Amino acid sequence: MTRPGYAQLQDVLLDADFPDLDLALRGGRHVDRDDAAWYALLTDAQDHLEPFYRRYGAELIHKADGYFYLLPTGDKLSRRTLGAGEMLVGQALALLYLDPAAVERGGIVSVEDVVAQLVAVLGSDALIAEFNPKRKRHDERIAQKNVRSRVADAVRRLAGLGFVEAQDGEKLRLRASLLRFAEPVRGLSAPAEALAKLVAQGEVALADEAREGEEPRDEDGEDQGEGEGEDQGEGEDPDEEDAMPDIAPEPARSGAAPVVGPRVIERSDEDLDEFDAELGADDDLDDDGSPG
Amino acid sequence: MSRRAPEDVIAAVAARRLSLDLGPLDVCFLVALYVRGEGAQLASFTEVQLEDVFAQAAAAIEPGAEIKRRAAPAIQRLRDQRLLARVDGQGVVKAGEFALSRLATGIVEFFLEEDILTRESLSVLTASLTVAITSVLAAARIASDEGAWRDGVLGPLRITIGELVAGIERRQRGLDLQQEDFQAEIRRLLEADWFGAIERCQGLLESTSATLRELNDMLLRDASSLLSLLHDVEELALGAGADEAAGAAHRLMDQVDRIAAWGTARQRAWSEYFQYVHRYLRDVVRLDPTRALTQRLRDQLAGAGQRFALTHAAAAPIRILRTVAPVRTKPPVVRPRAAREREPVAESTEDPQAALDAKVQASIDGGAAALSTVTHDVTAELPGPERFIEAGRVAGTVARLARARSAIERPWVAVGEDLVIEDWAVTRDARGGSR
Repeated sequence: MTRPGYAQLQDVLLDADFPDLDLALRGGRHVDRDDAAWYALLTDAQDHLEPFYRRYGAELIHKADGYFYLLPTGDKLSRRTLGAGEMLVGQALALLYLDPAAVERGGIVSVEDVVAQLVAVLGSDALIAEFNPKRKRHDERIAQKNVRSRVADAVRRLAGLGFVEAQDGEKLRLRASLLRFAEPVRGLSAPAEALAKLVAQGEVALADEAREGEEPRDEDGEDQGEGEGEDQGEGEDPDEEDAMPDIAPEPARSGAAPVVGPRVIERSDEDLDEFDAELGADDDLDDDGSPG
Repeated sequence: MSRRAPEDVIAAVAARRLSLDLGPLDVCFLVALYVRGEGAQLASFTEVQLEDVFAQAAAAIEPGAEIKRRAAPAIQRLRDQRLLARVDGQGVVKAGEFALSRLATGIVEFFLEEDILTRESLSVLTASLTVAITSVLAAARIASDEGAWRDGVLGPLRITIGELVAGIERRQRGLDLQQEDFQAEIRRLLEADWFGAIERCQGLLESTSATLRELNDMLLRDASSLLSLLHDVEELALGAGADEAAGAAHRLMDQVDRIAAWGTARQRAWSEYFQYVHRYLRDVVRLDPTRALTQRLRDQLAGAGQRFALTHAAAAPIRILRTVAPVRTKPPVVRPRAAREREPVAESTEDPQAALDAKVQASIDGGAAALSTVTHDVTAELPGPERFIEAGRVAGTVARLARARSAIERPWVAVGEDLVIEDWAVTRDARGGSR
């Protein structure tokens, strides 16, 4: 797909796709090559949009893995940190993304696969404890049902953020942006050091382990999925912040130097072009729909 | 032959409770029979041969197991499922001879044959199809009677051309299976030799993409010419009133359409898969040659290191306010008040029963000899619903003013268009009218 270049910002704003894309980015959506029209727009207009969003106190991040997202660095744009359950599910999805078994299916997995992955890594008891943190004694059947329900909720919220794409039934298509969950362990540096760097860049927030996972419940002991995580920024409810302070406050970033997306593994465009040339394929399809 | 509705076919199959239950030993036994038959040019097997072949198959599946006693139930199992047919027709007179049924042969061929659509096989098949349909078209042009249509057009369409088209479809399914194998192979290669598998995965992706592209181009090109020829056959058949031949040509056109659509769909699906694997090789495998990332991420998920949470933008969606309409105050719900005492109203003093008596008496005096006649005279001018009510009152009045007689089975008589009553014979009272 070819697009005309954008001579100035006005041309970008007048693009028919821009309003929806802008709202999606501000809502936390990660845009990758599967969002062909949006991705092409962002790629072509990146030079105009980076300073545009910087005026709103946000950085338009473009990862070499092939996805964009908006990272608030000031107070003008609301931000949110993912909840403990969403983080667990996101990391399990990232593991599935790396698994050759998912490659066999073209990146299609099911919610059951996600639960199985979590059980394989954490074990059943630990997984139930993660998703039922307040209960010292629990009915096994209800606890397991609760886990499945919470995982499905988390998957749904992550799908809204563009980490996965919900397909027919309970199938999910894994997307490149899942590699964000692996950022602290991708580089050659020690994970703690990489994590500190990401915290400084505002990419992640450290969780307060003592209060982690505390979420409102209903009388039946079923956790209420909505409201997980923490909202920060304008328009937030101070009571809500008091109710779920599981994330440490971010360092103030007003007036800070513009943040460039973390490059834990540095790659140049030349590297990627060279790889594409080796494989004899391009990311864009030919006119007849065939690859390369 | 008319095409049956899918639900009829499904219902018929469901009613017959068809099922197949084959274990690895059964399948191996069938394959062994097929291979033995081909190798020794056997049209049928004696019971001894069956047991001999079963022993061979069982030894391959379960070496060392006791075989002799299990041959009989295995043979019976195949007989019950119509995979093995007795062909000698001698019954209990002598030991039987058995042959593989068409169902068994199909199963074996599925597992043994590797019919995969290739550029060469597709080229041969489409060329053969073109020749066959052209000759059918020529026969259709000169066909003058029903026999000529049946022998020159319908037969070849159903058998020769139908088989060729089915051959292409069968090979398409073979290629589908091969693609699945390739996908599994890519997984196996990556699991066995993570970084070293890139080139071989790349080779599989490229070869399959090239094959699909070639096949799709050929299918798109050849399908249009085949469809054009079949369309001409159908037009001629319809013009000559040969509906069966027209139907056969139409069904073949549907099949050719399906074959062409298969090529496009598979190429698109493979293209998506190609893109996914390409990105995976580039972004995951190439950047993590020792496959350390998976283990480090697994450790992170298991709780190693400090916990963290990703940050993302979360601007609230734009709020579009509704148009504010003033709230309409509704009066409280109360019971309507009415005066307890009603004002006196002047009512007519005419007795309705006396008026009815007079009308009935006048009808009887006028010579009416049946209840239906009286009812008709009295209620003729009333609207429908009122006539029904009034008819009952008339019957009561007649019984009171005249002598009514009726048979045990009273006849039903229509009174006007919308009323039917059981009729009585009515005679004036001997005492001069009213009783």
